[in-house]
Amino acid sequence: MLRPTTIEDLQAAVREGGRLLPRGGGTKPALSTPTEGVTPLDLSGLSGVLEYNPGEFTFTALAGTRVAEVQALLDSHGQYLPFDPPLADRGATLGGTVAAGVSGPGRYRYGGVRDFILGVRMVDGNGDVVYGGGKVVVQLHCAALQETMQALYRVYTARLDVDALDLAPETDGSATLWVRLGGLPDALPARAERIRAMLGGGDNVTGEREAWLWREARDFAWAQPDWILVKVPVTPKRIASVETLHATSLRRYSAAGNVAWIASPESPQSLDGHLSSVGLSGLMLFGPPGHARLGIRTGQAVERRVKEVFDPQNRFSET
Amino acid sequence: MNPHPLIESLAGIYPEGRLLIHPGELASFESDGLTSYRTRPAAVVIAETQGEVIETVTLCHQHGVPFVARGSGTSLSGGSVPVKDGIVIALNRLTRIVRLDLTERIAVVEPGVINLDVSKASAASGLYYAPDPSSQQICTIGGNVAFNSGGAHCLKYGMTSNHVLALKAVLPDGEVVQLGSESVEGVGPDLVGLFVGSEGLFGIALEITLRLLPRPEQYQTVLAAYHSLEAAGNAVASVVASGLLPGAIEIMDRLAIQAAEAAVHPNYPKGAEAVLIVELEGEAEQVAEEYKRLEVVIRDSGAYEVRLAQDEADRQRIWKGRKSAFSAVGRLSPDFIVQDGVVPRSRLGETLAEIKRLSQQYNIRVANVFHAGDGNLHPLILYDGREAGAHERAEKLAGEIIRLCIRLGGSITGEHGVGLEKRGYLPEMYGEADVDLMWKLRCAMDPKQIANRGKMFPSGASDGPQAARATGLHPLEREGIISRE
Amino acid sequence: MQHTIPVDRVGPAGEEMARAVEKCVHCGFCLPTCPTYVTLGQEMDSPRGRIFLMKSALEGGLTVEDALPFVDRCLGCMACVTACPSGVQYAELLTPYRARTEKSRPRSFTERLARTLARETLPYPGRLRLAATTGRLAAPFRRFLPASLSAMLSLLPDELPPATKPLPRTYPAEGQRRARVALLAGCAQQVLAPEINWATLRVLARNGVEVVIPDGQGCCGSLMMHTGDGDGARDLARKNLRAFPKDVDAIVTNAAGCGSGMKEYGLLFKRQPEEAEGRAFAARVRDVSEFLAELGIESPPVSAPIAVAYHDACHLAHAQRVTEAPRQLLRRIPGLTLLEISEGELCCGSAGTYNIEQPALAEAIGRRKAQNILRTDAAMVVTGNIGCIVQIRASLGRLNKPMPVLHTMEVLDRAYRGMEN
Repeated sequence: MLRPTTIEDLQAAVREGGRLLPRGGGTKPALSTPTEGVTPLDLSGLSGVLEYNPGEFTFTALAGTRVAEVQALLDSHGQYLPFDPPLADRGATLGGTVAAGVSGPGRYRYGGVRDFILGVRMVDGNGDVVYGGGKVVVQLHCAALQETMQALYRVYTARLDVDALDLAPETDGSATLWVRLGGLPDALPARAERIRAMLGGGDNVTGEREAWLWREARDFAWAQPDWILVKVPVTPKRIASVETLHATSLRRYSAAGNVAWIASPESPQSLDGHLSSVGLSGLMLFGPPGHARLGIRTGQAVERRVKEVFDPQNRFSET
Repeated sequence: MNPHPLIESLAGIYPEGRLLIHPGELASFESDGLTSYRTRPAAVVIAETQGEVIETVTLCHQHGVPFVARGSGTSLSGGSVPVKDGIVIALNRLTRIVRLDLTERIAVVEPGVINLDVSKASAASGLYYAPDPSSQQICTIGGNVAFNSGGAHCLKYGMTSNHVLALKAVLPDGEVVQLGSESVEGVGPDLVGLFVGSEGLFGIALEITLRLLPRPEQYQTVLAAYHSLEAAGNAVASVVASGLLPGAIEIMDRLAIQAAEAAVHPNYPKGAEAVLIVELEGEAEQVAEEYKRLEVVIRDSGAYEVRLAQDEADRQRIWKGRKSAFSAVGRLSPDFIVQDGVVPRSRLGETLAEIKRLSQQYNIRVANVFHAGDGNLHPLILYDGREAGAHERAEKLAGEIIRLCIRLGGSITGEHGVGLEKRGYLPEMYGEADVDLMWKLRCAMDPKQIANRGKMFPSGASDGPQAARATGLHPLEREGIISRE
Repeated sequence: MQHTIPVDRVGPAGEEMARAVEKCVHCGFCLPTCPTYVTLGQEMDSPRGRIFLMKSALEGGLTVEDALPFVDRCLGCMACVTACPSGVQYAELLTPYRARTEKSRPRSFTERLARTLARETLPYPGRLRLAATTGRLAAPFRRFLPASLSAMLSLLPDELPPATKPLPRTYPAEGQRRARVALLAGCAQQVLAPEINWATLRVLARNGVEVVIPDGQGCCGSLMMHTGDGDGARDLARKNLRAFPKDVDAIVTNAAGCGSGMKEYGLLFKRQPEEAEGRAFAARVRDVSEFLAELGIESPPVSAPIAVAYHDACHLAHAQRVTEAPRQLLRRIPGLTLLEISEGELCCGSAGTYNIEQPALAEAIGRRKAQNILRTDAAMVVTGNIGCIVQIRASLGRLNKPMPVLHTMEVLDRAYRGMEN
């Protein structure tokens, strides 16, 4: 295990040779548990918010910084990360969140983690420090890659008020639809009423229970700890094909039917086959190492070219 | 017969009339929205199918001949200016909307489809395509993808990159790839994000899957007039600090207002040194509440006149003035440079004061139009090209403004891209290692560097950016690859 | 855009041409409103492209022949002028450019024949009537004729309306006289749709306008002006300068093309002895809808409900910027619902002699217009120009979806007379 505490140490560790697997809080074990012959590279020693500019809604922090720490800081200024970074309460770091590319329920309304990254300074596979992006809201395009070292985040808007609705359609009771609304307090009751009218019912959920509800969603508290947990991008129409395949699993659909979170007692290999057969891809967060990517893979020709540039000697292991 | 072997091969693909080689056919392709650069290509092909584009790119790769993909030629950074002795692949006839799935809220389009036409096609279902560059009635989705185009409403909704879900593209060596999926979420590296904004250096998008949004139920467009530009700038800071996130926050200064009035008669308040346009949009109840809050902020910001758009026609009139501003400035001055830089919002006032000072120092008029909400400035530098040295002085002033943006922690481009115009500034914004990495990426995608050669990097030659570093603006001019009037 | 046009060596309108080029900032906002660009999708067939080509030819970077095919394909509809934010006066480049290059251009025999036929017949009602009749006799041999001649024939109506009695010298106002105007009788329209002039007279009279129809007037000359024959146009225009009285409130026309041409008399006589006279004449020209809207009209009686689609004639909407006046008049008709045609800024493909010189393109452009009209569910098309009426009728006919296409004055006239529209 390597645990650098300075950028220079990190560069040295990368240049040293050998295959490495970066690790932050270890909250996504399927992505942070090394396989045979791979050395874990613990980035928790590179932690701390370097710059925070509430007026600009931006901050810069090292990759090993815990998301929860950032959230506390933002909260003191009435700001927050609207994409609901998953697993924050379990110790997820910014670097891990960016590298895995995972977002919570808020991504539907405000965009996912990648939409909040303004720039990234990183150590590439040669051990060089490179920078891409800017610090302002509009900026040069830059791709966020797995080798993320230090990220700048944009915090969107001040949190004004939050309300929630628990809507149980009367059809068969086999599914629960959760709709979350946020905005100016005076407009909320009317907006909530409109949604209830559209759905033909539903109860208000507020206060502690509301907070608990979304925390549970963000932290996957609903998933069995010894099952695998896989993120599968879908579209509302594709939900049906996911539903027919996994009778034994638990499914949660987030972001208005754009992501399926599948918790399953199946083996990764079996789910991999299922996903391939319906033309979907998955990213495993919980489960054994060595199976990060499941199902079909698109764009491999480009991925390979990018990898050759950033990591020509294949220093960084995928899991 | 044209001796050029590539052109002979192209004649095997394109019938007469779609392979252009005569001067009269080629001349009008010489420049785009940035007319100070002109290059006549060796040939222009008018592609009608994706297959033709793939074959053309493959042939260019085999022959090592550079190509430039061209949509409507509205680039303001010279992004679609041809390369000397290269090929222009005109995509204006690839205008199929391949699929419009209104329940999934996606549109799959070919690159020649015009931005506004996507919204028109989905309007009946109450959907639209959010990114709205000012040239949206003519600019193509292919060009939007290449330059990650923005627009007034990107403050709330994000740029093109936030609205492209998937891409089918031909890489510069002829390999056809499929990136992304129809979901707004993905797994693995964001390859769509890598391609969007690559300025044509990574190949040509053939099919683009776009995300459509429900048209906001209600718009509330507020027009506020100020006696000073600084006051309008400060109003922006107050709006942002109030926690509101309007759909758009725009500012135009006196010169820009004057031009817009002459062009499209938006009837902005008389005597304004600056107007601020703030547009709230969304659910009716929410907009009504937001407006209550906005009203207080604007009232306290020192506006001497505040107007509300009374109906859709009124709203369109306000926006028409804003969106015509660049071209309208043609009425004030025979020549001008459209600059595109970004500064942190909190430093907007300081930036405007400095631009004013520079304008006085150079004795050159500068009109200001900007997406104030995200700090994206568009100073328009007015000059008369017939005066000796005027163009050079205007470019120098433009350069000073861009360096100011860099110094204040901003960016050399917000939405127009680096293109030809800003190549020289890339190394000023990024370190040597950063630019080298970008160059390596370019080479990995395009081993022969034939796709839009000469753009974005400070040298058009294949020996990498190092060779041209710190040699100032436009080395291609010295190399005779491009020329300007 | 910068240029090196030798202003003094490119004819009397050198400065105007140079100014138009200078004003163009190459933004491309004109492209989506250009009928040839939206049909062909290539830069050289766009206004921006043509400006570049004309500029290059004037500068000497291109030969006149290099640029010719693309300049020729321009309909001169001026939709680009309406769309242009930077204020390029495209007509001030195109018209003198065409006049300048016309003389030196090579044309094939049939092209010349078609052009001559058109220009020697359209402006003269008597000749046109004769030609139309002979043309119909030639119709069975159409497939043996070159495209442009064949196109001329296809536009001829199956049956010419009967020649009506000649127009009177004056037509008195009904009730108290509110104004006095002089009417341009027009040429092609007199043969193809003589009813339009009579409807115009009745509508004007009904609203208290006395009309004089001066003797000695002739074709306005815009056909020649817009196809590059400056001298021919001036000969015709001179006749009108002499014929029209100065003691009228306005010189009124019901043909958009004529109105736009006569409003350009100032430019036509630029640096000629008649320049001042031409300018004064131009200042008094009004389209009949423009004149009536300014004057204010009486509401027609209630009639059966009807939905009509209003088509903006380019020479009215773009060249003269008259769009609201005809709509305002039509809205005064009780029971009439006014529908807008999508892509309304696009030309119908008529454009003077365009449908004779560029038949294939004109047909494609006409088809697009007809399809857009059919999408409105209108029962009738209303417009302010005879050329558009003929072209739209033909285009709807080709799709087997005929419907009445009338002039704004005819619709108003019918409403006043209590006829079913």
